[in-house]
Amino acid sequence: MTTAVVKLQLLLVLGLATPLLAALACLLRPVRRRMWRFLGLIPLPALAAAVLIVGLIADGEVGAVRLSLDPEGLAIGLVADRAGAVLLGVAALLWAAAGVYAGPMLRDSPNRGRFTLFWLLTLTGSLGVFVTADLLSFYLTYALVSLAVFGLIAHTDTAFARRATSLYLLLAILGEIALLLAFVLLADAHPGTSLDIGSTVAALGDSPWYAITMTLLLIGFALKLALVPVHVWMPLAHTAAPFPASAILSGVAVKAGVIGLIRFLPLETGAAVGGPIWGDALLILGLTTAFYGVAMGITQDYAKTVLAYSTVSQMGLIAAATGLALRGAEPAAVSLLTLYAVHHLLAKGALFLGVGVMTEAVTGRRWPVLLMAALLGLGIAGLPLTGGAAAKLALKPLFDEAGLGLLAALSSAGSALLMLHFARLLWRSERPAVSDGAFWRLLPWWVMALAALLLPWTLLPLLGLGAPETWLAASLAPTALWKALWPLLLGVAAALALGRWGHRLPRVPAGDILVLGAPAARLAAAIGAAAEALDTQLRQWQVAGIMLLLIALLLWGAVAP
Amino acid sequence: MSQITLYGLLGSALVGLGLYGLIVSADALRKLLAFNLLGSGVFLLFGVIARRGAGAGFSGDPIPQALVITGLVVAFAATALAVGLLVRLGETAGLEDVDDAPASPRSAAPEDAPGSAGGPQ
Amino acid sequence: MSAGLMDWAGLMWMLMRALMQALVGWSDALLVALLVLPVLAMLLGFALGGRAAERIALWTLPLGLAVALAIGALVLHQGMPLEYAMGGWAPPLGVALRVDGLSAALLLTTALVITGVGLYARADFATPSGVAETRASLAFWTLLLGLWAALNAVFIGRDLFNLYVAIELLTFTAVPLVCLKGSPENLQAALRYLLFALLGSVLYLLGVALLYGAYGTLDIAQLAAAVRGSAEPAALVAVVLMTAGLLAKTALVPLHLWLPPAHAGAPAAASAVLSALVVKGSFYLIFKLWLDLLPPQYGQQIAQGLGALGALAILFGGVLAIRQTRLKMLIAYSTLAQLGYLFLVFPLVLSPVTLLAATGEGTPPAWTGGVLQLVSHAFAKASMFMGAGLIAIAMGHDRIGELGGLVRVLPVTLTAFALAGLSLMGLPPSGGFAAKWLLLRAGLETGQWWWMLVILGGGVLTGTYLYRVLAVAGFSGGESAPRPLQPVARSRELIVLGLALVSLLLGLLPLSSFEVLKIGREGDETAAVEALTQPAITGAVWP
Repeated sequence: MTTAVVKLQLLLVLGLATPLLAALACLLRPVRRRMWRFLGLIPLPALAAAVLIVGLIADGEVGAVRLSLDPEGLAIGLVADRAGAVLLGVAALLWAAAGVYAGPMLRDSPNRGRFTLFWLLTLTGSLGVFVTADLLSFYLTYALVSLAVFGLIAHTDTAFARRATSLYLLLAILGEIALLLAFVLLADAHPGTSLDIGSTVAALGDSPWYAITMTLLLIGFALKLALVPVHVWMPLAHTAAPFPASAILSGVAVKAGVIGLIRFLPLETGAAVGGPIWGDALLILGLTTAFYGVAMGITQDYAKTVLAYSTVSQMGLIAAATGLALRGAEPAAVSLLTLYAVHHLLAKGALFLGVGVMTEAVTGRRWPVLLMAALLGLGIAGLPLTGGAAAKLALKPLFDEAGLGLLAALSSAGSALLMLHFARLLWRSERPAVSDGAFWRLLPWWVMALAALLLPWTLLPLLGLGAPETWLAASLAPTALWKALWPLLLGVAAALALGRWGHRLPRVPAGDILVLGAPAARLAAAIGAAAEALDTQLRQWQVAGIMLLLIALLLWGAVAP
Repeated sequence: MSQITLYGLLGSALVGLGLYGLIVSADALRKLLAFNLLGSGVFLLFGVIARRGAGAGFSGDPIPQALVITGLVVAFAATALAVGLLVRLGETAGLEDVDDAPASPRSAAPEDAPGSAGGPQ
Repeated sequence: MSAGLMDWAGLMWMLMRALMQALVGWSDALLVALLVLPVLAMLLGFALGGRAAERIALWTLPLGLAVALAIGALVLHQGMPLEYAMGGWAPPLGVALRVDGLSAALLLTTALVITGVGLYARADFATPSGVAETRASLAFWTLLLGLWAALNAVFIGRDLFNLYVAIELLTFTAVPLVCLKGSPENLQAALRYLLFALLGSVLYLLGVALLYGAYGTLDIAQLAAAVRGSAEPAALVAVVLMTAGLLAKTALVPLHLWLPPAHAGAPAAASAVLSALVVKGSFYLIFKLWLDLLPPQYGQQIAQGLGALGALAILFGGVLAIRQTRLKMLIAYSTLAQLGYLFLVFPLVLSPVTLLAATGEGTPPAWTGGVLQLVSHAFAKASMFMGAGLIAIAMGHDRIGELGGLVRVLPVTLTAFALAGLSLMGLPPSGGFAAKWLLLRAGLETGQWWWMLVILGGGVLTGTYLYRVLAVAGFSGGESAPRPLQPVARSRELIVLGLALVSLLLGLLPLSSFEVLKIGREGDETAAVEALTQPAITGAVWP
């Protein structure tokens, strides 16, 4: 092992330890009150580690930087492979930008200590989840990023935020439970004691619980990715959360589900048992979500909610692509998916900051910000020359069938429509009366916007996908250009139609099918009331006495010779 | 019927009566009395066992007797504690007779205890 | 530098060895001290009055903790259980005491929790100079010591009648502790607790009588040897009666009538020991009866039934905890749910698959998981009840809906509450997570997926009721911090935090360290071999 690797291991640990230590330091009140100034700096060690590791991997010196403790053969540890390190890096970048953005908001907030604490906890989990190598650490960091986020959503303490938080937590806990069960099954199917994700997933093929494990993994990650029909938390949570928290939630936290799919599904070998069924299931679920997100999004009136539905739609597309990768055993699938996820992370993070900038900072000329936001939005739909074009190209080899290609193009058209709707809402949004802390809000926005435009291209060689020039040339070839442009034009046309006749669409409340949850809530209340009535009965002396005798009789009946 | 069987039956009957009283009585004092009845039944059974298990030469097995004595002390302590609580409860709440459940109107007179078994306390 | 470090380590090692050598000779005295120390302190305190009782109790805490630590170290060092026959009389005539790995762990848990409770309660039951002594103060300190003695006796006893006395002493000390306030509702709850516990203990005593009648001994090891082939019907009746009686004292749903009202009016310190320790004492005896005394084939027949009661407790207690409006009652119902997890140990440990796999190597994971659940719940729940006590002091009430702004009044306490909650929910890296991970794996390995569903469903309910508290206390209440009605000493908050941290850190111990628990688990191998000859009864349903 070279000294470079050792140094990088240390740097990686430092990158994860910094936010954790900062969170612990927040237990002291004076530190907690002042920590907000450093939110932009705390992710930087992780960013540095990611950059150096990606460089090392791209030089071909190592395949991945590993750090493993091996108590009792459990193989607890970290691994920064290509996908993990790249995601870690861009996530750290967004965290830093959002941390800077949050500064002016926190400076004036009496609750900043609390917000900072949850911010740092989420940060720890969010960075960790990309580089944890074993089931236990993955579960820990995944739980941290899933659950600590609730403190960010609940920050504003409105009735709506409370509702959003409880819904989010309920679904997050269900996801946790599905994953816990899946991990128990995974660990058990592995013949050794090792909890290493790679080796347990490799042993999954021979597991007697293959189908149930796969189902649970898909449920767990679908809840995080917000696939239909468990997407309901996403619009509510994003609408309720403050801007930097939304950027984090949509940009980074959701990607925990992507890394989960990448790490836990046998993408390089294909599904061992049941063959293409798993891929098909994920594909159908994903495509449904992709179109459903658009359909619901265009009925929304609030820019952040529209962005949330766009995230739902985009995660659907990623899930569909993963399903295809699972089916086709495409060797570069992991890198391609990573690229797409990276672009979405940057673009969506930037867009949420953009909404914030428009509503909180820009009192003067609005069009530079608006133009950039529109560019980023159309980039998500695959506008040539933007980072999104590279991301769309990355999905091409996966959607390599005629029908699927068309569906992918249509989903691009849908994205274009949705993002134009978003841009229109952004244009109409009210100007802030005063511009407060404008510089510290505008700086991260512009940094993220440029990163979203450029970084996907520069990451191409680092992900081992070839030179940017070749990709650029490929994307500008006439046929490819037409393939990229016609969905956009279709989207523009649809957006014009929406602007003209959109008022006839029904207004769907954020969280759409959530209205169907009312009977479930009534049922829960009825169960609670029934349990209470039963409790009153059981706590009668005579009833309890008779129960005691009954239990004795039943026990006797069980053991009687 | 041998003496042992008689005592055994008697002990069992006391246990049964005690259990019945303890479970159906609403009144705390009655429960306490029923508990003592139940305890006496168990002690009687200890006596039966001492008698039955008597080894050669002894008139009875001494260990159960020791256990009964200890048990009596424990039961006495329990009764004392319960009576203490009852008295305190009567004083603080100013009640004549005391129920161990949160107060609610008693539907039946104490004399009808078995009849009020199913009623709310 | 490093050489110096080596020297230090070497010196420490030598010191430890010397200490151990010295302790070995004192093992009998240590065992006796477990009982004598708190009893003597209790009597002395009682004789000398409230002011002295407090001082004596506070001095006894570190001593008792040291004794428990020394015993734990000895068991670990020797790798075998400590035994002591009182007065040199061997069973069946005499009474033997025994500390194996499990007892040592429970003794240490008890000592730590009681120490925490004692330090916490100083502020509530102190008698500063110049203030008249109160009855409540005298009662609290003497009862706390008595309760400690009773718990120690339960964990080291080997004689079923001795255990009866111990468990009665436990009840007699716990009952007055919960009614120290002396209001009518309070006294009524205590009376109800006492009477139901007495019903349970008479059933236990009846079982003791039958067992003695059948085998002429009450020593658990001797009884186990006697029933090894097959138990007489009388012995089975006896164990069933004892189990039913102990279930009443453990407050397993549906026998929980006394527990919620007892908690409602009890002082926070009393609630902490009641939930954390007292109900575990009687559970420990049930555990011993079916796992140590009777051969496993009988346990297998009731295992699914006890598991079903446990599952009922988990779900029922969880739903009711969600419905509570007072914080203290929420924690009380949460106790009912968490007790349910302990009863899942029976079907998981006694499954033929587990017994087969465990032949000759270590403890089954479900067994370790159960013990870990017991211990981590003890710490977490003690912390929660005492935290709730502080909240009630600072806010003047404990109505959950009105706890807004608590995070600015008592941030440390609320943090402790959340950390203890992590352990209850079974989220990593807590002791509760390790426990549930082991139970889940055991459920999988024995093919009993239905218990896995219950464990996970219980987690959702736990998360829901904890969220109700944390959301209100942490996020609502506007911008301005409410002023505490009464100041709360920071030291008390730190005690609450410390207990929560212990519960959390248990999850970071490597699994191999739990091998300590198996020291002195007798008859494992033989039991397993016998189980093979029995028909498989995994699917045995309640009759």
